[in-house]
Amino acid sequence: MMNEHSRTGSPLGRRQALAMLGGVVLSGLSPARWAHAGGAVASALAFDGGALVVAGAQVWRHDLSGGASATFPTPRAHIRALACHPARTGRLFAALEGGGLDRSDDGGRTWHPASGGLPMPQVTAVATAAGAPDTVYAAVAGDGLWRSEDAGENWSFVMDRPWIADAEREVLTIASVNLASGMGGIWIYAGTERGLTRVPDCFCRWQDVVAGNAMDALVAGTPPAPETPLPEGEPVLALTSAMAAPERLAAALPSGLWASSDSGVNWAHRSGHVAPALAAHPTEPSRIAAITADEVILSHDSGASWAALPTT
Amino acid sequence: MTRRAPIAAAVAVVAAIGAAGWNAAAQQATDVESLTFLGKTVTAAQLVLGQEDYAANCASCHGANLEGQPDWRRRNENGRMPAPPHDANGHTWHHADRQLFTITKLGVSAIVPGYESDMPAFEGILSDDEIVAVLAFIKSTWPERERGFQAEVTANDEGGS
Repeated sequence: MMNEHSRTGSPLGRRQALAMLGGVVLSGLSPARWAHAGGAVASALAFDGGALVVAGAQVWRHDLSGGASATFPTPRAHIRALACHPARTGRLFAALEGGGLDRSDDGGRTWHPASGGLPMPQVTAVATAAGAPDTVYAAVAGDGLWRSEDAGENWSFVMDRPWIADAEREVLTIASVNLASGMGGIWIYAGTERGLTRVPDCFCRWQDVVAGNAMDALVAGTPPAPETPLPEGEPVLALTSAMAAPERLAAALPSGLWASSDSGVNWAHRSGHVAPALAAHPTEPSRIAAITADEVILSHDSGASWAALPTT
Repeated sequence: MTRRAPIAAAVAVVAAIGAAGWNAAAQQATDVESLTFLGKTVTAAQLVLGQEDYAANCASCHGANLEGQPDWRRRNENGRMPAPPHDANGHTWHHADRQLFTITKLGVSAIVPGYESDMPAFEGILSDDEIVAVLAFIKSTWPERERGFQAEVTANDEGGS
């Protein structure tokens, strides 16, 4: 069997070529510009303790209780995606533009590399495991899903990219959703360039989002089709699940922001905002933040209404 | 008698069959008296039958030592996944007994509708008893941790042991 880590320094192969192509495809899915926070372009956000962290060309930390905001320098490169876990306040993981992943243990003030063994192509999405604060997942363009069980010190390949409509599809966003998979673990949901999918965290196979777990599907035979699924074929740009209410999901598509209250089976269109980043508050599931082309917006009612945050 | 004594007995029975290539997995053979499948205690005779049927029907893809195909986490050119290991390195032990039986008898698509796999449905090739024996044999090779995990998954699944 090929040594997973040997991929990092190998000559350009099929995977690397696909990764480069994936980067081109992914850049085509991104608008030309996004909101500014702290005076710089932002493209990622996360709730960390009592703060909303907005990142991109720099890191902007906004105290949600009405306290002061602070701006910190970016790590080595523009931040493309952020992840954190409520049990590890102050610890942030940042996927960097161009590849690599950094970690901060002080709320975004300082950063250090956390990508030992992770291949160099673009990390397109990052998430922490809902039930294991030190476990982190990263999706690598043209490659697949990687996992670290020691907070980014070491990484190993766990799953190829999803197979949808006769091709492997790029993972644009991932979320660890604390719902039983029926296989002794929980689900990892992924937004791809061709819609939503999910895989149990034992990584046996990507599969459609249907009601219940795998055993429910077995008992029911062919599960009923969702009445109101996400629009077919649209890329899912961002996805989030609140740990306090994992059956409630929010997704950002080119057609706007969508919400689900049944684990992603059925969805309701909540607004026309187009957002590359979403975050749900871990303990207040109705509170959702998003980055749009013009502003950072916050909802306190699961996306039914939004207000812009002052970011300068 | 210690908990491990029946394990040695089971290993001895299996070893007496003399299946070539049966090495690492047999080292981890477990307590046959506590091994169940779908709620029924597995016998040493079932393990022997299971090993024979595994070698004849499964080993060509999943490996003589249950090691799976090379690079099994990476998709084949046809979009299908290689055969995974059935040892502790794989994910078979994350599935309940009923899932394992159904996947083997009816194919993966019985669990995940529409899923395309190179693994055939074994209905008509192996009897239900033979399928149970093969899966019991695979379970018997798992270390204690993986067996305990799978027992819990099975217990949480209606109809399991």
